[in-house]
Amino acid sequence: MPTVSAVNLSAPLLLLLLWATHPSMATNWLSLARLPRSRPVSGSAPCARLRGLTPGQVGVCRARGEVMESVRKAAEMVVEECQHQFRNRRWNCSTTPRGINVFGRVMNQGTREAAFVHALSSAAVAVAVTRACTRGELERCGCDRKVRGVSPEGFQWSGCSDNLSYGVAFSQTFVDEPERAKGLSAGRPLMNLHNNEAGRKAILHNMQVECKCHGVSGSCELRTCWKVMPPFRRVGVVLKERFDGATEVRLTRIGSRTALLPRDPQVKPPAARDLLYLSASPDFCHLDPDNGIPGTAGRRCNGTSRLAPDGCELVCCGPGYRAGRAEVVQRCSCKFSWCCSVRCQQCKNTVTIHTCRV
Amino acid sequence: MAGAIIENMSTKKLVIVGVTLLLFQAFAFMVGGLIAPSPTTAVHYMATKCVDTVKHRQDSKWFMPWGPNQCEKIRSFDEAMAKKIEANNIVFAVHIPLPNKEMSPWFQFMLVILQFDIAFKVYNQIVDGSVVTIDVGLAYRDDSISEWTEMAHSFEHRKLNCNFTAAKTHENEGRYYECDLLPFMEVGSVAHKYYLLNIRLPVNERKKVNVGIGEIKDIRLVSIHQNGGFTKVWFAMKTFLTPSILIIMIWYWRRITLMSRPPVLLEKVIFALGISMTFINIPVEWFSVGFNWTWMLLFGDIRQGIFYSMLLSFWIIFCGEHLMETQFFEAEVLGGGELKMCELCLPVIKIFPELGRPPTKKSQDQTERNRFSVYWKQVGPIVFGSFCLFIFDMCERGVQLTNPFYSIWASDVGTELAMAFIIVAGICACLYFLFLCFMVFQVFRNISGKRTSLPAMSKARRLHYEGLIFRFKFLMLVTLTCAAMTVIFFIISQVNEGHWHWGEHTVQVNSAFFTGIYGMWNLYVFAIMFLYAPSHKRYGDEQTSGQCITGDAGANSGEDIQLTTTITHVDGPTEIYKMTGKESQE
Repeated sequence: MPTVSAVNLSAPLLLLLLWATHPSMATNWLSLARLPRSRPVSGSAPCARLRGLTPGQVGVCRARGEVMESVRKAAEMVVEECQHQFRNRRWNCSTTPRGINVFGRVMNQGTREAAFVHALSSAAVAVAVTRACTRGELERCGCDRKVRGVSPEGFQWSGCSDNLSYGVAFSQTFVDEPERAKGLSAGRPLMNLHNNEAGRKAILHNMQVECKCHGVSGSCELRTCWKVMPPFRRVGVVLKERFDGATEVRLTRIGSRTALLPRDPQVKPPAARDLLYLSASPDFCHLDPDNGIPGTAGRRCNGTSRLAPDGCELVCCGPGYRAGRAEVVQRCSCKFSWCCSVRCQQCKNTVTIHTCRV
Repeated sequence: MAGAIIENMSTKKLVIVGVTLLLFQAFAFMVGGLIAPSPTTAVHYMATKCVDTVKHRQDSKWFMPWGPNQCEKIRSFDEAMAKKIEANNIVFAVHIPLPNKEMSPWFQFMLVILQFDIAFKVYNQIVDGSVVTIDVGLAYRDDSISEWTEMAHSFEHRKLNCNFTAAKTHENEGRYYECDLLPFMEVGSVAHKYYLLNIRLPVNERKKVNVGIGEIKDIRLVSIHQNGGFTKVWFAMKTFLTPSILIIMIWYWRRITLMSRPPVLLEKVIFALGISMTFINIPVEWFSVGFNWTWMLLFGDIRQGIFYSMLLSFWIIFCGEHLMETQFFEAEVLGGGELKMCELCLPVIKIFPELGRPPTKKSQDQTERNRFSVYWKQVGPIVFGSFCLFIFDMCERGVQLTNPFYSIWASDVGTELAMAFIIVAGICACLYFLFLCFMVFQVFRNISGKRTSLPAMSKARRLHYEGLIFRFKFLMLVTLTCAAMTVIFFIISQVNEGHWHWGEHTVQVNSAFFTGIYGMWNLYVFAIMFLYAPSHKRYGDEQTSGQCITGDAGANSGEDIQLTTTITHVDGPTEIYKMTGKESQE
């Protein structure tokens, strides 16, 4: 009898545990960024050992192993770009020291920051896969879905569709997979799906068209145009703007379906490229380990200028900041060339460093 | 030129001819829009950064970016810094068709454009007027295991035109400059299956080579080639059009030679137009599929230039020949104040006044403009402008035959020279169009002048003039329609995206433009040769030459008619008769 009750208790407990960890599972694949470069990410056995992937994502890993290297690169891009875009805000996209949840428990709630991270990660996968295609690292790219015939014939007859479609399609397959597995009736999966799509749209709407005239004597009789993917920094800037203008929504029932509609009925329904969030962001000032908020204590800020975006008034809260002096060794009088080894001298400087109190 | 077929054709027949030509025209558009794919394809490549660990290059080693013999790669330049790799050891490698694809001779040409991704760094900015020195090599092979064979190697200089839109502060470090596209390479034929480009950016601080060009993150290439499907459709069209134009040309020339008089200037010009159209139509490009002829691109440009010059000359000579200013009539002088007016005249050769002989001989005359040298002022700009463009093309595409990486726009001197040629050609074109407009204005003025006196003329003269007017107006209308259609479709193809979707069908607008306009000008030349061939019909009872119509010279009121007689057909004396007012003097 005790065993039955134990079983009866542990099952819902297990489910509760599963549900508690569910919301953050979608971005666990970002933990690929933490793997050492030497560790392989493609192949049947390595795929199964990657802890951050959902079962569906492991299936994709097995089927299209060569693309996983780009997914790893995408994870690194997400961390770097997120930390660049949020460097002057109270939550600065800090990463946890270890574990598969890279940004910590902040991602568990449907806040604006989570929306941004989801959008950025789906855009990063699309960009990284497209870049790998243009480098020739992947076997099937733009000619995967062809209009006429099989690849070599189709390429000869009418060229291939551009690689970005392939990258976007792969991003939809890989990044959206955990949300689809959870079903489309809960609030968080719907929000994540919408934000993923918003990330991909941020790329598609910022493509630039470039043209080259090459007709008779170089005239514009024959003109070829193509679309250029924006640099990832630009995608980050665009998504940061959408982050600032994100819409708060809630799950509402319309007939037999559920949808996310704005909480404030006077706000117009969000467009496909807007970011959505379900709950308001917490105050990132105070340390709150349960919710994964590191707080602003100890953050560097710019004490010299009041109006600078990284000024201490904006970054720190409450008690303010303190100044301290430190001696740093910096590189100075460097000789730069267009890349690679730079010959610099080391200079010692004493600088004033401001840090937040709390 | 008297009595072209068009003047003697009934309206019904003309309409039938017109409708047939329109059907062919629609067919030409549909072939391009529905069957052919887009004319060109652009393929993106991002160069892979290979490391050349050998200190000095002893033998030319070719670095492959992917595949079984891949080079040693670095993923980003931060890795290079960590591994202490110098800038001179980095080789950017690009393999031109992407994996599992092959290039094909049906692609006709390969044009490669270079774009640098340069990040802004406060202490390593792009200096104004900086020039990038590129050490580039191009190799080919025809299967995936043999050795690479070098095709070209060059040290190229390109000016960097970059600007940075945001503020130049530490905040914005890492953002990219916006740089112009740099022309990189143009190969006139694609004879091999696989191509490999190895690009180096050698740094030499002492000689200021590649110093001050910012921090380069990536090199991107875009390669443009013509779609194989479009090439096949185009060749098929040329192969179909060549015999058609040849047949009509042979027919036309037979009709000319069947006349007993030598051909007039206009007929010769029409024939020359047909020859230049045939020259374009002859599908010499079929040979490019089997042979490696890199001059095909240049040859195509020359053929098109010859056709355009011929067409413009034809228009102005046609206008000039229809000026109808001074009319000279072949006349047989009878007695009693009567003159027999003749059609079909020959050029005036000499005018000899002579006295004292009975004026019974036939004389010939013609409008005095039947010589090519009369048109030197109008044809001169055409010839000079075409010559300038020819020299420009030779400087650009001609030199590219030996060095595919050459670009006339790369150096300052070259840019100025190129602009000079283009501007001179533009000025010549404007001059020509001014002359043309002026001449058209003159013709219309003369037409309106003649119209008032038409009813008072004798039947022969009236028919003659009416024929001239109708001929001129018909050609004017057809030419304006063709030119307007060309301009409209050109603008449409530049402005829109290139393909329209109707349901599940895709219409390739750019291809339709090319095939449609090419077909249109072929049909235009066909129509001209058919409709303006000399007619063998006469206005009444005739012989082929010296067809005369009796008219009453006295009925021409208020007309100044000058009669000139020449020696050519006449064995005998020549006289000038001048008639003023209503009387003729013998």
